[in-house]
Amino acid sequence: MKLGAAFGMAWRAIKGHKLRSTLTTLGIVIGIAAVITFVTLGASLSAAIVGDVGAGEAQTMNVWAGPEDTQGGGGPGFGAQPVFTEHDLDRLRNVEGVESVIPYGQVATTAVGHDGDRVATSGVVATTPAYFDDAEFREGGSFEPGTRQVVLNPAAAEQFEQNATVGSTVTITLANGSTVDAEVAGVLDSSEGQSAFEGFGGSPRIYVSTDPFYSTQVESPSQSETQRVYSLLLVRASDPETVEATQDRVRGYLEDESDAADLAPEDYQFEVQTSEELLEQLQDVLDRLTAFVTGIAVLSLIVGAIGIANIMLVSVTERTREIGIMKAVGAKKRDVLTLFLVEASVIGIIGAVIGTLLGIVGGWAVTTLLDFPLTFPVEWFPIAVVVGVAVGVLSGLYPAWSGARTDPIEALRYE
Amino acid sequence: MQDSDVAVSLTDVRKTYQLGEPVHALDGVSLEIPRGSYTAVMGPSGSGKSTLLNLVGCLDTPTEGTVTVDGRETSDLRETELARIRGEEVGFVFQTFNLMPRLTARENVALPLVFQDVSKDERHERAEAMLERVGLGDRVDHRPNELSGGQRQRVAVARALIADPAILLADEPTGNLDTDTGAKIMALFEELYDEGNTILMVTHERHVAEHAERIVHLLDGEVEAVEELSGAGRPTGAEVGDGSGAGGPGDDGRGDAEEGGERA
Repeated sequence: MKLGAAFGMAWRAIKGHKLRSTLTTLGIVIGIAAVITFVTLGASLSAAIVGDVGAGEAQTMNVWAGPEDTQGGGGPGFGAQPVFTEHDLDRLRNVEGVESVIPYGQVATTAVGHDGDRVATSGVVATTPAYFDDAEFREGGSFEPGTRQVVLNPAAAEQFEQNATVGSTVTITLANGSTVDAEVAGVLDSSEGQSAFEGFGGSPRIYVSTDPFYSTQVESPSQSETQRVYSLLLVRASDPETVEATQDRVRGYLEDESDAADLAPEDYQFEVQTSEELLEQLQDVLDRLTAFVTGIAVLSLIVGAIGIANIMLVSVTERTREIGIMKAVGAKKRDVLTLFLVEASVIGIIGAVIGTLLGIVGGWAVTTLLDFPLTFPVEWFPIAVVVGVAVGVLSGLYPAWSGARTDPIEALRYE
Repeated sequence: MQDSDVAVSLTDVRKTYQLGEPVHALDGVSLEIPRGSYTAVMGPSGSGKSTLLNLVGCLDTPTEGTVTVDGRETSDLRETELARIRGEEVGFVFQTFNLMPRLTARENVALPLVFQDVSKDERHERAEAMLERVGLGDRVDHRPNELSGGQRQRVAVARALIADPAILLADEPTGNLDTDTGAKIMALFEELYDEGNTILMVTHERHVAEHAERIVHLLDGEVEAVEELSGAGRPTGAEVGDGSGAGGPGDDGRGDAEEGGERA
C-alpha cells in the first residue's frame, strides 16, 4: 500500500469523526502549545537578562563577601557585609592586571527633591567617577570626587514634575534627617543597570561621590585608623585575556592580606566573579526553572498521547468490520498497520502544527504581558512537530498492531 | 494434480476447530471447480458452507488436506502471500455487501487495487470501467448509503471482479435483497458466467442455487451429493456425484429485466 493512498484513507477516517478527532487533536495541541509557550518564555527571559550584558562586562569583577554556603546562587552581592576598607582598595589597585577598583556603596536616604517636588527615595549609590568609564551620558558627565554633585539616570531625572537637568539642584534628605543640596553633573543616556549590583531594569537611580556622601566607617585592622568601608567592589581588569589570572590574584590578596579578611564574619567567603559568570549562574537558575515548567507541559503532552492511543483503540474496535473487508480484498497486516499508524500520525502532525502556532501566540502574549523582549526559540518548532508525529506514531502503535492482527473471518462477522 | 482448466481444487480437506472438543467443520471434502464453471454450494447451517468459502477465499487454511487456488497450494503459504491471493485471485461478494461506508462507489471498487500499489489514476479508470460494466456508470461518486441494496451489491460485484480474479466467491449474494432485486443480481451473475468467469456461490435457497450449472450439497462437513443441472444449453459438468438430490431443471431467474433504482 502506497503512503499517499494510506493518507487519503486516514484523512477520510479522521473527517468521518469530526468531533472526536478534534478533541483528540486538542490533547496534543494543548501539550505542544504549553511546551512552546514556556520555552519561549524562558528564552525571552534569558534574552532580557543576557541582553543587558555590555561589552566591557567580561573584564569587570564583582567582589563581595558573602555567606559560604550559597554557592553563588544568591545573586550578585547577596549577603554582602561592609568589609573592604580604603586600605584594601589601595592595595587592590596595585595588584597586577587591575586597572581600577571602584567602591559601590549605599547611602540611606528618605527623599530626594527637585524644584519643590519631593520624591521618596530609600537610598542613593555612592561610588567613584570610574564607575561611569563605559557609560554614555545624555548630557553632562560624571561628578567630581570631593564635590556635592550627583549623576542621575533618565528614570531619576524624569521622576520630578520638572525634569532635572545638568546644573540644576537636587535636595537629598539623608536618613538622619539632615538635607544636602547637590548639583546635577550629568544625566545618563539609559536607565539600564550600570553594573550587576544594581540589578536589571530601569528604576530611578541617583549616583553620588563616596566623598563626601558615604560615611560608613570602621577601624582598619592593619592601619589602626578609621576608614570608609564598603560591602561591594567592582574591579576592572586591564586586559580581558588575563581576567582569570587577575581574578585569582585579587582573591589571593583578599583572603591572605586584606583588612576584609579580618573584618568578615566567620563562614563568609570572598566572591570574585565577572558579570559573565554571574550571568551564567543566573542563566543556570533560569534554565532549571524553564526545564521544570516545561516538564509540567510535557506531562500534558503525555496525557494527549494517551488520548490518541485511547481513541485509536476505540477506532480500531469500531472499524473491525472494515478491517475484515480490507483483508478480504487483499490488505496485508502491514497495510492495516500503516493505515492506522498514518491516521494517528496525521492527528499528531495536525496537533503539533496547531499547537506550535498557538504556543507562538501564547509566548507572544505572555512576554508582552510581562514586558519582556520576545525571543523565539526557533529550534524548538521543528522539534515540536517531530515530537507530535512521534507521539502519534507511538500512541498509535499498539492500536494499529491490534487492528493488523484481527482475524478477517471474525472481523467480517463483527456487527 | 491440477491442470490449467481447474480454477480451484480441494483434496480431502479437513478443517477442525477446537471448541472444548474438536469440531470438524469440514471432514474430508474433495472438490474441483473448473475454470468458467458456475457452482452453487447448498446445505443447512453448520454444514460447512462458510468454512468451505473461507478456505477457497484464502481467509483460512485447512487443518488437513490441500486447497489449490489457481495452481497454488495455500496450506503452507505465509499470511502475506495469502493476502496477495485474496487480492488478486479471489473476488468476494458478501450477503451484507461489506462496502467501506466512507468510500465512494469508485473507491470501493478500486480498494483491492490500493493494496496492489496500482496508481490512483489507473485505479479510478479501471473502477469506473467496472462500474460501467455492472450498470452503475452514473453512480461512481455515490457513497454506499446513497445507493439501494441492489446497487450496493453491484458495487460489491464490481469490486470482486476489479483484479480479474481466477474465481468469484459469493456468500448468499441475494440474502439481503428482495426477490425482484435478487433476481436481477442473479441475472448479472449469469452474464458474468457467460463471459467466462468462474463462480462459486453459497446459498441456502434452492431457486438461487438453480442458476448454477451444478449444486454441491454439504451436510455435516461432508459432500452429500453433487447435482448437475442442465439448463439453458449449458455444457454438462464433468464431475458426477451420487445424485441424491431432486434436481429440478428450473431456470426461471434468467430474465433480462433491467434493474431500476429500487431500494432494498
